[in-house]
Amino acid sequence: MGFLGNLFGGGRRDRSASVAKQRLMMVLVDDRYKLTPDMLEQMKIEMAEVLSRYLPHVDSDQIEVTLLRGEANDHLKAEIPLKRGRDE
Amino acid sequence: MARVITITSGKGGVGKTTTTANLGTALAMRGARVAVMDADIGLRNLDVVMGLENRIVYDLVDVVEGRARLRQALIKDKRLPELCLLPAAQTRDKDAVSPDQMVYLTNQLRTEFDFVLIDSPAGIEGGFRNAIVGADEVIIVTTPEVSAVRDADRIVGLVEAAEKGTPSLIVNRIKPRLVNRGEMLSVEDVIELLAINLLGIVPDDEAIVTSTNRGEAAVYDQHSLAGRAFLNIARRLNGEEVPFLPLQDQPGVLERFFGIFGRRRT
Ligand SMILES: Nc1ncnc2c1ncn2[C@@H]1O[C@H](COP(=O)(O)OP(=O)(O)OP(=O)(O)O)[C@@H](O)[C@H]1O
Ligand SMILES: [Mg+2]
Repeated sequence: MGFLGNLFGGGRRDRSASVAKQRLMMVLVDDRYKLTPDMLEQMKIEMAEVLSRYLPHVDSDQIEVTLLRGEANDHLKAEIPLKRGRDE
Repeated sequence: MARVITITSGKGGVGKTTTTANLGTALAMRGARVAVMDADIGLRNLDVVMGLENRIVYDLVDVVEGRARLRQALIKDKRLPELCLLPAAQTRDKDAVSPDQMVYLTNQLRTEFDFVLIDSPAGIEGGFRNAIVGADEVIIVTTPEVSAVRDADRIVGLVEAAEKGTPSLIVNRIKPRLVNRGEMLSVEDVIELLAINLLGIVPDDEAIVTSTNRGEAAVYDQHSLAGRAFLNIARRLNGEEVPFLPLQDQPGVLERFFGIFGRRRT
C-alpha cells in the first residue's frame, strides 16, 4: 500500500503496469491534494527538522511517507525510524 | 418509481454508450421496464448502437422545448417491448437543455419505468452536469489506462461534490493476458487507485464490435464474454449477489475464468 514510499525506495518490478500504477498514484495525489513529489521531499526535510528538536538523529532520508486511500478518507502515514542515539 | 442511473466517465471512448445499451437491454430481458436516455446532445450515438436510428422522429430537445410529448419521442426497442430509447438531438449543442429541464425530464420518466439509464457525454462540463443532475446513482466506466483512470478520479470528486454519493465502477476492456503479463493495470490496481466500489469487470471483446455493427446488444450473444459480464452487472443492479471475477494478480486466473465461458482467442 505504501506507494509513495515504494516510489522513493525503488520499485521491485518494472513491468509497465506497475510503472503505470505508481505514476498514477503520484498524479492522483497531486490532482487531489496539490502535493507534488518535490513538496513531499520538502515536507520530509521539515518534519525531520521539527522531530530533531525532540529526538536525536532523525534523518529526512529515512522518513517514509505513504498515502493510504480509503473510501471516505485518505490517510497520510509517516514512518520515522529512530537511531539509537546512545551508541553514537 | 424508477431508479435513475447515470453512466459517465471523464475520458471519452471508454465504453459508456456500449455499457448503457447493454445494461438497458439486459435489465429489460430480465423483465424490468427500462428507459435509456442519450444525454450526449450533438453527438447522438445510443440510437445506432441499439439499432434504432431509423425510428427516430422526435428527440430529447423536442420534448424539452414542447414540440413533442415524452411518449411521442420514446422509441420502443425492436425486440423488447419494455425497453425504450429517448434519443439525443443531433443538430443542437449541449447547452440546448438546462439542468432544471433535465431534472423535469427524468422525473417524468421515473413514473413510467423501473430503471432510467442515462448515457452521459465525456468531459466535466455542462453536458456531464446535465447528465448527472437528475440521477439517483452514478456509474463510472473506465478502461485500465493511465489517462482514463486519472479522469475517472476527477469524476469521482465531481459526483461526490454534486451530492450524488460515491459512484460505483465498471472496468471495461480488460485484457487478461496483458494483465497476467504485468503489462496492463489489473482491476485490483484500478480499485486501489480510485477507492470506490466495483460493480463490474468487462473484458475486451471482439463481439462488441460485431454486435455494434449490427445494432444488437452483446447481451444477446451467448458466446460474448463482454455480453455475459453485462448480464452479471444487470443482476447486481437488481440486488443479486453475483460473484466477481478473481482479482488477485495471479497468472492465469482471470484468463481461466473467462475461458470457462468462451472459446479461447489468440
Ligand atoms: N469491452 C469492449 N470490447 C471491445 N470494444 C469495446 C468494448 N467496449 C467498448 N468498445 C468499443 O470502444 C469504442 C467506444 O465505445 P463507446 O462508444 O461505448 O464509448 P463512449 O464512452 O460512449 O464514447 P464517447 O465518450 O465518445 O461517448 C466503440 O468502438 C466500442 O465498440
Ligand atoms: Mg458515448
